[in-house]
Amino acid sequence: MMTLLETTAGSNVKVTNLDSVHALVRRRLGDLGVMVGSVISLRKTMPFGGPCTIEIKGQWIAIRRKDAGSILVEGV
Amino acid sequence: MIKLALTGNPNTGKTSLFNMLTDSYEYVGNWAGVTIEKKVGMLNNKRGQLIDLPGIYSLSPLSRDEGVTTLYLLDETPSMLLNVVDASQLERNLHLTIQLLEYGRPVVLALNMIDVAKKRGLNIDVEQLAKQIGIPIVPVIARTGYGCDALLETSIQSSGDSGIAASPRRFDYGPVLEGAISRLEAMLPKELTSARWLALQLLEGNIPVLQKLRQYVDPVQLQACYVETEKLVQETGGIRLADYIRDRRAAIIQGWLQQSVRETKEQHTTLSERIDAIVMNKFLGIPVFLAFMYLTFKLTFDWFGTPLSDALDSLLNGFVRDNVSSFLDSAGAAAFIKAVLLDGVISGVGGVLVFVPQIFMLFLIISFIEDSGYMARIATVMDKLLEGVGLNGKAFIPMIIGFGCNVPGIMAARTIEQPKERLLTILLTPLMSCSARLSVYSLFVGTFFEKNQALIVLSLYVLGVVVALALAKLFSFTLAKEEESMFIVEMPPYRIPQWRTLSRSTWEKGKGFVRKAGTFIFGGSVVIWMLGYSGFSGWNVPMNESFLQTIGSVISPIMQPLGFGNWQAGAALITGFLAKEVVVSTMGIIYAAPTDAGLEGAITQFFTPLQAYSFMVFILLYVPCLATVGVIRSETKSAKWTWFSVIYALIVAYIIAFIIYRAGLLLGFH
Repeated sequence: MMTLLETTAGSNVKVTNLDSVHALVRRRLGDLGVMVGSVISLRKTMPFGGPCTIEIKGQWIAIRRKDAGSILVEGV
Repeated sequence: MIKLALTGNPNTGKTSLFNMLTDSYEYVGNWAGVTIEKKVGMLNNKRGQLIDLPGIYSLSPLSRDEGVTTLYLLDETPSMLLNVVDASQLERNLHLTIQLLEYGRPVVLALNMIDVAKKRGLNIDVEQLAKQIGIPIVPVIARTGYGCDALLETSIQSSGDSGIAASPRRFDYGPVLEGAISRLEAMLPKELTSARWLALQLLEGNIPVLQKLRQYVDPVQLQACYVETEKLVQETGGIRLADYIRDRRAAIIQGWLQQSVRETKEQHTTLSERIDAIVMNKFLGIPVFLAFMYLTFKLTFDWFGTPLSDALDSLLNGFVRDNVSSFLDSAGAAAFIKAVLLDGVISGVGGVLVFVPQIFMLFLIISFIEDSGYMARIATVMDKLLEGVGLNGKAFIPMIIGFGCNVPGIMAARTIEQPKERLLTILLTPLMSCSARLSVYSLFVGTFFEKNQALIVLSLYVLGVVVALALAKLFSFTLAKEEESMFIVEMPPYRIPQWRTLSRSTWEKGKGFVRKAGTFIFGGSVVIWMLGYSGFSGWNVPMNESFLQTIGSVISPIMQPLGFGNWQAGAALITGFLAKEVVVSTMGIIYAAPTDAGLEGAITQFFTPLQAYSFMVFILLYVPCLATVGVIRSETKSAKWTWFSVIYALIVAYIIAFIIYRAGLLLGFH
């Protein structure tokens, strides 16, 4: 079990748990198709602890690093 | 009257489609949240109305703009729903489609950006998909107009449907939920149509629906039903109720897509990724943004705007003035009329109009940022900085729009989810230097800082942003602080803005400025001229004995410590509250009278460069203009915050202009 932040940028991983993500962010992620079981990948991280971008099915989303750090994932 | 409602996820091209299908024009962009209120337009074929609604992912709203769509569906009954979906993101778009089908009006699907989907290697069998979902689907490309006629035809046809197409669709949500839905349906009064839809929305946690149902049913009962269902779902499936509903829908969508969509080629690096590699680079992100802003001011001033504006100035003050003057002479007009037109209208309105080239240039660049997809990137690059002061990256979008005009900027704050962050953004957006203020700077930098125009103006814009950030920090400490900040933004693929869209959107933004010059500033100029023409001793007094001088003298002593204690500056500041470009008109009128050296020549007699800079700083920060105060009032719905926005700005402007002027003097500037 690891968090999205611990994965190598660009590699596909499967979401296993979103429970500790900020509630509103979790909802919006769901709207954008990021749910338990979705395959996503970490793409870029901004400097100074800024947000990071994730990719799901060709769509890019920016979220804060602390939220990305609470997305639990596993390798596919 | 047929009423077609445009619904769909954010940034799927609803407004582009609206512009194609109606005879009106609304502004479009390439970021989620461009449309923040409902817009109504007459269909091209005059057979009905099209209603453009803010984009939503789901009918349960998270932000103010999304609530507009939900409330529309709750309170009104459109003839049909025109659901715009992004063909390249079908799966997530169809979650909303299911909710719309459950609502119980005929739905037609506009499969937009079909070209983008094809390029991505998605092969969509439209006929098969239509059969699966059971509604008409029309492939379109809203940006070019492809398929729009067919879409309109199909939509009109289906709006006349009754029977199956117009009744709520039932999807099976499993025994636990179906039980809860039935119980809720039984509680609701019979006259409510689409009771099943309401019940489902309630179970999803839709707040506006809850508020509506409270009028009919005991809130305690509703709450009990919700809690009980939530508990049951948690026990049986181990997941939250809202997630459960989403999963059920995802399964339905999977079923549809399996039959009708094939991926024909592997994903490869897209152009957007390559651009992002630079503009969102770890080290380059912020420098690239600053360089872009610098380029903006270079274009607006040094390279493009100012030369044009100078040409316009010599045209207005030479050719036009001479001709009007000789026409009036030949027509035998009274001296009074001649003075009103030449010294009032041409000096006042003309003084503002000469800045039209700069302002259009600025609007063109803002339109470019909006339409290209760079906006969401700027929000992301800026998030860390804004998080540090209690805001989030999205707050930067209203601020950038505010560079054009504060009024739409403040309205754009509606897309910010957290109420506190939204309030802060509303209060601070007026500090963004708008295009009206640009006319004041243009006048002064052209006179005092000819060599470094772009740099001086950039410094004012940056000052506005820095002050806003500092105040955000201060306010978020002292005002409500319990709310947790959040940030999530969708990054649309880049696209090359079409010239047609750019020019249209630039014109739509800029025409307000021209119109204001023709109405408000025209009227204001006449009034100001009258105040300058009359005094206690009667008409046609010297400017120094006019009412304008009396008014300006009231506040000039207060401004003395800031370096501009002359009555002319005082008068300009007071009238500038109406609209900031009135500062220029007022000065044009005041200084037109005594000298012939032109406005720029005249102000050098009253200001030193340092005083001019201090004056520009004060103009930047002091009270929002009348229109902005109005929109702050309507957006915050609070007189307290409106007063606050005016008063804090005055105090801050005074302090900062004072520091700059005094520090400048100490450093040996003058």
